[in-house]
Amino acid sequence: MVGLLLLAGWIGSTNIEAAPSVAFPDTLPPRPWYAPRHVLLQAAGGQGLVAVGVGYTMARRRLELDALLGYVPQKYSRTAMGIGTIKITYSPWSIPLAHHRWGLRPFAVGAFGSYTASKGLNSSRDGKYEKGYYWWSSHTRVGPFVGGQVQYERPRSTHRDARTISFYYELGSNDLYLTSWWANRGELTLREILTLGLGVKLHW
Amino acid sequence: MLFSLLGRQWRPRLLDRSAWAVVAWVLTMADLLPITWLLSGCDLLELSPNETRTPVAYRDLTRKNLEALQRRANPLAGDTLRFVFIGDSQRFYKEAEAFTQSVNQLQGVSFVAVAGDISDFGLVREMRWVHERLRRLKVPYLTVIGNHDVVANGREAYQQVYGPLNYSFEYGHTRFVFVDTNGREYGFKGRVPDVAWVRQALANPGPGISRQVVMSHVPPNDADFDPHLVSPYVEALQRAPRLAFGLNGHRHDFGVTAPFGPALPFINSYAFEKRRYLVLTLWGPQGFQIDSVSY
Repeated sequence: MVGLLLLAGWIGSTNIEAAPSVAFPDTLPPRPWYAPRHVLLQAAGGQGLVAVGVGYTMARRRLELDALLGYVPQKYSRTAMGIGTIKITYSPWSIPLAHHRWGLRPFAVGAFGSYTASKGLNSSRDGKYEKGYYWWSSHTRVGPFVGGQVQYERPRSTHRDARTISFYYELGSNDLYLTSWWANRGELTLREILTLGLGVKLHW
Repeated sequence: MLFSLLGRQWRPRLLDRSAWAVVAWVLTMADLLPITWLLSGCDLLELSPNETRTPVAYRDLTRKNLEALQRRANPLAGDTLRFVFIGDSQRFYKEAEAFTQSVNQLQGVSFVAVAGDISDFGLVREMRWVHERLRRLKVPYLTVIGNHDVVANGREAYQQVYGPLNYSFEYGHTRFVFVDTNGREYGFKGRVPDVAWVRQALANPGPGISRQVVMSHVPPNDADFDPHLVSPYVEALQRAPRLAFGLNGHRHDFGVTAPFGPALPFINSYAFEKRRYLVLTLWGPQGFQIDSVSY
């Protein structure tokens, strides 16, 4: 037993000795241009019970472009739904809060387009009727939203760790709800056509 | 994984310890969503416009309305029965509100029958929007599924919000048989309408039943009715004892036709957009009167 331990120790030590000595670079490795600037996790907002995504930022994070993949289990559908969403968000103002690590982007406006794939979804345009009978697609949705986010810059984060975490909300709607609302202004309230999404983003 | 594919040199640590805590928190919140939503009644958190979730207050409405109907005594004497007949509420919310106010001023009405196309896009929220207005009716309302209610996940949404696609009930010496006839939505596969069910539902009316009424969305002489099933369906109706007439929507306008012989009349309803509805008064096995009301 003791022998085995000694043997293991010896193998371990020889391994260390055998490892080539590494010269640590004095610059950090470059970040490839195509690496996403953030990853995100979202709940609801018409884009899935949960959705994961990646995104890019432009104009000092005032513009964000996200791609999400969402999931709705069969329990809340006919068959499980997969929802692919692309969205663009513009948040012009960034306000540092009293504690310097916290910040607020009080207002955001954006738009999304989504495609829902689901085996059981009865398509509105699959040739059952003459063309144009149903003018909308039951798979593709587009819509606007407004929102906001709180962000937190983490202490002691290394080059590899996400530097900033932000929590966001989105109040939105979609083309079909807005069409219904427009024809019934004064009757159908905005509250009735709004959807809420909540999410978190990890930024590098 | 993703990042190791993307960049060999710059490899971010996707989740370090504190980030894991954040993810755990969000997942917990996501798990709690249905519960918090139920507790707070917050229907803003929408998983998809095609989801079929609906709060309890907007669930099983057919059963609830039938129970409410059975609790009400027929306001008219003898075997006379009066009900309001309209169809296609799809996207006409202003009209639904005005309709409710108009019907609430009527006397002697037992219930409202809506001949399908409750929604336009087959979305659960649309059905809730319609109920939000029709629930203010002083009398119960009963619906049958329309082709627009079958689009997308509409069939499941309709089943959640209203209930069965085929059902029958008896009230005021009358047996009502409501049946899904939206054959085109099911690809004309010879299964919708369920003729065997219709036959059985219309069989052997009890001695207290003066007449039977069938309501469906798509009329049997319409191009959207499954062509394979027109004759068996019509035959089932013709053979049904004491069938007064068939009721349909879909065409958005009023009409009384008898395409399969004078013994089997069909009455088509106004759509909500027409701002008119029918008041049907029935007596004896065949007697009926149609009044049209503008609102």
